[in-house]
Amino acid sequence: MKRAWAWPGELRRAGLLGINRRNLDLVLPHNPRVLFPRVDDKLQTKRLCEQHGIPVPRTLAVIERQGDIRRFVELVAAHDEFVIKPASGCEGRGIIVIAGRRGAGWLTSSDEVLTLDDLRYHLSAILSGLYSLGGQDDHAIVEQRIVRHPLFADLAVGGTPDIRVILYRGVPTMAMVRLPTKQSRGRANLHQGAIASAINLATGETFGGVHLGHTITMHPDTGARLAGRKIPAWDLILSSAIKLAGCLGLGYIGVDFVLDASGLPVVLEANARPGLAIQVAHNAGLVPRIELIEKTAAPSADLIARLASL
Amino acid sequence: MNARRTSLWVALVLALLGVSGALWRAHLRQEIRLARGDSLWRVRYTVDFTAEKRGARLQLAYPLDTARSRVFRQEVYHRGLTPARRPANQRFNREAEFTADRAGALRITAQFDIHVSPDSNWRAWGSAGTTNATTNVEAVVAATLRNLQPNPVTPSNQVALIFSYCSDQLSEGGAEEPADVATILARKSTPPGGKARVLVALAQAANLPARLVAGFELEAEDSALPRLWAEVFHDQKWQRYDPERGHAGVLPPTFVPVRRDGTELAWGAGVRDVHTAFSIEELPPPPGVLATGRRTIWEIFDLTRLPLEAHQVMSLILLIPLGALVTSLFRTVVGLTTFGTFTPTLLALSFVYADWRTGLFVFAVVLVLGLASRTFLERLKLLVVPRLAVILTVVVLCLAFCISLLDYSHLTPTPQAVLLPLVILTMTIERFFINMEEDGAPTALRRFLLTLLVACCCYLVLRWDTVGHFLLAYPEIHFVTIAVLILIGRYTGYRLTELWRFRDLARQP
Repeated sequence: MKRAWAWPGELRRAGLLGINRRNLDLVLPHNPRVLFPRVDDKLQTKRLCEQHGIPVPRTLAVIERQGDIRRFVELVAAHDEFVIKPASGCEGRGIIVIAGRRGAGWLTSSDEVLTLDDLRYHLSAILSGLYSLGGQDDHAIVEQRIVRHPLFADLAVGGTPDIRVILYRGVPTMAMVRLPTKQSRGRANLHQGAIASAINLATGETFGGVHLGHTITMHPDTGARLAGRKIPAWDLILSSAIKLAGCLGLGYIGVDFVLDASGLPVVLEANARPGLAIQVAHNAGLVPRIELIEKTAAPSADLIARLASL
Repeated sequence: MNARRTSLWVALVLALLGVSGALWRAHLRQEIRLARGDSLWRVRYTVDFTAEKRGARLQLAYPLDTARSRVFRQEVYHRGLTPARRPANQRFNREAEFTADRAGALRITAQFDIHVSPDSNWRAWGSAGTTNATTNVEAVVAATLRNLQPNPVTPSNQVALIFSYCSDQLSEGGAEEPADVATILARKSTPPGGKARVLVALAQAANLPARLVAGFELEAEDSALPRLWAEVFHDQKWQRYDPERGHAGVLPPTFVPVRRDGTELAWGAGVRDVHTAFSIEELPPPPGVLATGRRTIWEIFDLTRLPLEAHQVMSLILLIPLGALVTSLFRTVVGLTTFGTFTPTLLALSFVYADWRTGLFVFAVVLVLGLASRTFLERLKLLVVPRLAVILTVVVLCLAFCISLLDYSHLTPTPQAVLLPLVILTMTIERFFINMEEDGAPTALRRFLLTLLVACCCYLVLRWDTVGHFLLAYPEIHFVTIAVLILIGRYTGYRLTELWRFRDLARQP
């Protein structure tokens, strides 16, 4: 019978990175607190990306004050599709995806109809910090909606999948794609029921799959096979991630991409405390890869191949 | 030096500092105690009585502090009785008043720990002020006093004569002898305590303020009886006389007064069959009590010197870090997620202030109503801060009526019991609600139960009186707490929950 737990020694042998070790050995020494706003405030991340030519969703409007909410209708007058998100939100909280208009109101990507009042209330909740990290006042970003790449048509239900690359000292260390499900209500958050599938760093091909801690091979909603998908523009994703890590100045980050309909990888956000579930998707720990990067003096092309083979 | 090694060293130094500080303090205490001949005593009351109806009242006199003895801990158990908030007589005595919640047989037990220190000069209870001398003097008392005319006439000479008359001329009889002063003077024979009564009567007849004192002479005794002695006011202060034991002017430090101007230690209205039993035992030397006769600035490092009323709060405050330690362990080593970092500790703290049943009741009521009102507010779509304020107001109203309800059902509510959880609960309700919306009710409920679980563990730590008193005596132990927290802060091992979460990754050797 399978045990319901693993002994610490067994996890150590798998090279599993625990949350305490991540905080003490990776986040604390490599991510100076003073640089956190660069990733915690998505507006700053976006600006950095724009300055360095890394593609991001086009910003349609930024709402900074409660007074600006009145002008919301004019601001989005020219757009039928857009995304509203808090600048300092976490775990996908407070994000509304508008897929079109329905009478005087709007239709969300999950086919809910929202009135202007609903949106105004949501905006003011964002501004008063309901979704922000420390509860402090926040800005709301209205940006271009990314239409998902056809590759994921049968893999993502009700939302857009995102691709996460974890970088240590600017070197891509592990990557996965997160696929929304009915259960996750279109969100790409693993603890809410999204699927994670590992990506081979060297080839950009998916393998394995995890849903709420259980290994799976098929998408539970569509039945599509998870493994063996080649992520388009994989080299571009890696080079964008490396570039972004360089200009953020953070030593241990996770960068989230989405692929738009044309196959262009767009940066959604970066995270200074990336989660550990990626290890479950890979069925392998991060520690050996971290150690290999630490041992290698100068990153080279073949380092990624060696990392992928670990 | 890297952070890990520095942390280890700091933790080691702090732990050593804490332990050696405590040891040094214990050593000092022991030395002072031995040198000064201090001793500790425990006096127990057991009062059985029958309340004739609900609302019957019983008064109880508690041991009083003197310059050389003081009560440093007291515990009173009164099932079925409600203590009065402001007892009647607090000027000369420490009297407590209890109201019966029901008719029938009731019992109060009380225990007082008394520190006797011959060289101390503490603030004594009720030594200031005088009582009036009585005006009508019985003939036999006046006649006796006429034979006791001092020369020259000074109060101290007068009292000295009265004292020697009482101690030498009256013989001691059994307890069955009549106790009224006239009969005693006529028969020259007294029951126990009669000599003090005569002394008071004679002193009052001589126009000196005098009063009878009932109290204990501290001697290990399973069935102790209160003794009577006298206090006479002359030469600007109350002087103590015990004609039975032959102490004049000053009593030994082991004489602890309990009730002035009265002989019964338990009495009341609407009660009958009042039966009192007392026992006295000497306690082994505890760490908690240090006496310093002289005032030095170092005194501030001795928290046990604070008045008794402050002890309970102080020891509770000193327990809070242990609650935080428990929370840290749960979050970093076990890996449980709770609402807010120190919400469990604060919740536990409020449960200690009330008893836990009251606390849990208030908690449950407030949570249900708070969540209900939050659900309703969701439809109004209010901004965050006003919404929180509305919930806070609803919570305040709930609490106010909870107190009222508890009072109605005689559950001895304390208003401070509910002060603390107010804001904590409001924030918890908001967090719970958001969590429920974002991650679903099961997750929110699980996190809530985990919060409650950690709060219960903190509660067990916080109500650990022995440890609280120990920390009050040796607060430097918290250096060790900090050391342990530093070690937890450098813990890079797996959390217990990760052993479960990542079980699929296990690699057999």
